[in-house]
Amino acid sequence: MDFFIQLFTNPVGFYNQHELLIAQIGINAILAIAIFVTFYSGQLTLANAGFMAIGAYTTVIMNLYLPTPLPVNMLAGALLAGLVSVVVGLPVLRLRGVFLAIATIGFVEALRLGVILNVPITGEGQGLKNPSADPLGGIVPILISLPILAYLVWRLTRTRLGQAWSAIREDELAASSNGINVPLYKMIAFIISAVLAGYAGALETHINFFVDPTEYGITRTIQILTFAVVGGTTNVFGPIVGAVFLTALPEIVRQFASYRDVVNGVILILVIIFRPQGIVGRGGLAIIRPRWWIRWKARERPAAAH
Amino acid sequence: MSALLQLTDVRRHFGGVHAVDGVSLEVEQGTIFGLIGPNGAGKTTLVNLVTGYIRSQSGSIRLHPSSSPPARAGEGRVGALELARRPPHAIAGLGIARTFQTLRLYRNLTAIENVLIGMHTRRRDDTLQQLLPLRPLMRLDDQRLKEARELLQTVGLNPDRHGDRRASTLSYGDQRRLEVARALALKPKLLILDEPAAGMNPAEKDRVRELIQQLNADGLTVLLIDHDMRLVMGVCQRIVVLNFGRKIADGPPATVSNDPAVVTAYLGSHAPESASHVPGSEEMDVAAPSKPAASTEPASPLLEVRDLEVSYGAIKAVRGVSFGVGKGEIVALIGANGAGKSTILNTLSGVLRPHAGIARFGDLDLTTAAPDKIVRAGLAQVPEGREILARLTVRENMELGAWARRDRGAAHREIADLMKQFPILGQRHNLPAGQLSGGEQQILAIARGLLAHPRLLLLDEPSLGLAPQMVDSVFEVIQRIHSEGVTILLVEQNALRALEIADRAYVVETGRILLSGTGAALRRNPEVQKAYLGG
Repeated sequence: MDFFIQLFTNPVGFYNQHELLIAQIGINAILAIAIFVTFYSGQLTLANAGFMAIGAYTTVIMNLYLPTPLPVNMLAGALLAGLVSVVVGLPVLRLRGVFLAIATIGFVEALRLGVILNVPITGEGQGLKNPSADPLGGIVPILISLPILAYLVWRLTRTRLGQAWSAIREDELAASSNGINVPLYKMIAFIISAVLAGYAGALETHINFFVDPTEYGITRTIQILTFAVVGGTTNVFGPIVGAVFLTALPEIVRQFASYRDVVNGVILILVIIFRPQGIVGRGGLAIIRPRWWIRWKARERPAAAH
Repeated sequence: MSALLQLTDVRRHFGGVHAVDGVSLEVEQGTIFGLIGPNGAGKTTLVNLVTGYIRSQSGSIRLHPSSSPPARAGEGRVGALELARRPPHAIAGLGIARTFQTLRLYRNLTAIENVLIGMHTRRRDDTLQQLLPLRPLMRLDDQRLKEARELLQTVGLNPDRHGDRRASTLSYGDQRRLEVARALALKPKLLILDEPAAGMNPAEKDRVRELIQQLNADGLTVLLIDHDMRLVMGVCQRIVVLNFGRKIADGPPATVSNDPAVVTAYLGSHAPESASHVPGSEEMDVAAPSKPAASTEPASPLLEVRDLEVSYGAIKAVRGVSFGVGKGEIVALIGANGAGKSTILNTLSGVLRPHAGIARFGDLDLTTAAPDKIVRAGLAQVPEGREILARLTVRENMELGAWARRDRGAAHREIADLMKQFPILGQRHNLPAGQLSGGEQQILAIARGLLAHPRLLLLDEPSLGLAPQMVDSVFEVIQRIHSEGVTILLVEQNALRALEIADRAYVVETGRILLSGTGAALRRNPEVQKAYLGG
């Protein structure tokens, strides 16, 4: 409760006290936008933790070894993630549904275990120190980027490109009969998603002094997926709401902070049962009538008639 | 007159099945061209070859876009475009639009959005400009919206009433119309309609016919596939008949309908009835032998339904229906699309829950019992559209039908028996069920239903989308099952055929029972003929 009281009565104090939390919310919201783009085009890809790692490592390595300014390093990280996504996407995007999900998780793990843990420049699993990190300054680009990216992706969903994504999500066969180049538009969504994830990874290195390879595994993947599922994917604001809610939750209910994963899991299950369309989305709560309830009602009806 | 589409010796085999076996044909510019043939003749495969969903193994498919200017400046005016190696979206981009036999709308998008997506190829790629919503672009948006609403009107949908509804909430006939509107949004040179009138009643079919004629009058070339001979013979200038992947006739309607090869293909070699039963005259067939005038309502019904009401959200699909099915009867529910017939069946099998009313099957209360329990009690449903598992083999589909049973050994023996009873299935037991023709799939679905040992079998639209010859064999199967002691509740569009075999029937309209009586009596009832037989 204190959390909200402070938010409304003393926003400046709140901001100062929770700066790191706000930064993390912003990064997670960008990750949520990234996964939204692929969801919107009907693809269940879970590769974003990997693209995040590419963005993060590229930025830090360039910081360490090159004289280029930080914004350039960050953009380079995001672009490299996009480049890798083309190579990964060519074979992988032929798959659909759960097979695509498995293949992209495979990419995340192959990148982490195969590349990051074995290449000397990445610290071989020891992680990398990032001396130029600036936890307080790092929040500014995050807070500027988030609304811009949210706006752009929101607009994107209403363009010709966004309509093509909708069509592919609904029915690939029908989409191609309407002249939509399905593989191309899927690839565009995959690349945009990768660039956004890479950018989020680059931003995150800026608020942490240390790049930790264990951050970019399956746990992260599932966490990003949860934002989208809990928030809903009918429009871009759903996953953002999901990200804000799930990231802030441990702070709001401090007493449960150590059960964070348990609480997240319970929320995920509740949303899937009662609001399968997510928090943001059309319609109300799904009404589940258990079998005993139906039987009980049926028994009651003839009784009432008498 | 010049050919717009030209197929030369096109061939496509799936394993040993010669789906399309060396077909050549020409679709003339500005005509309505009919493609007909019994089920499994290769019509849909041919359309899939033309639209690029399936690659041909040999032969050429050429588009001659001669009379109209090229779609894009870069393409130039080439004499003929070979379609055989192009992907589907590129072929659509050349101006060939199609609808699908099984509806393929963007179900969760609104009707307007469906049509807007159809304009994809005509819309300049303005994605980057659209990121900033500028006035001139908004005006383009408005223009597109206006055009989409006009297209809805063209096909007979009301943009105000239907435009903002999600496609899946439209009635079946409206969904078919919406699919045509979406195809028209491409501004096609050639429109391919794959069974646009499937599952429609005669009045709706007339409207489809008017629509096709109107589009053609506006200069559109149409390739029409349908089973309704009256529709095809009525609108087409030229017809090609396929059978087993080969062209067996080609010419104007009058020539084709009198072609002995065509009559044989449709009616089988032992034409069962008089010569009047050629394609196109089936709805005249009202003077068939009458059944012994049987019962009214059964005294102790096997199935009893009273005041049943079922709603989908705000829409009341069934508004107080009462009827009964006695042991050993064939009872038919007939009526137009959207009348609520399938909803009634789905409620009886426990898939849907009624809002009010009583439904009893023996001692079992169908309004509350779980679907699996209903099946175990001996009430099995063969759903509309067959719902077979296309990738599994025929045998695997049957085995799944027996999955819930504990007596595995007996179930296997029964599957073997059924394979013998229905040789069509026995011969194809290792083939993926998706490769069977529509009629064969229907027989598979019925055979699968029999594995549940039903005392009452619910059949939902068993003749949907089948050629007359195939309808005959499906109805033969139904009568055979009935003679073995299974009670049958049949839902049918094909009212005439249903009334021929039914002891009693109910006419359902907008969720209510309008008429009831013996099959023979209803068949003679002028009101029924008028409403459902197009008389």
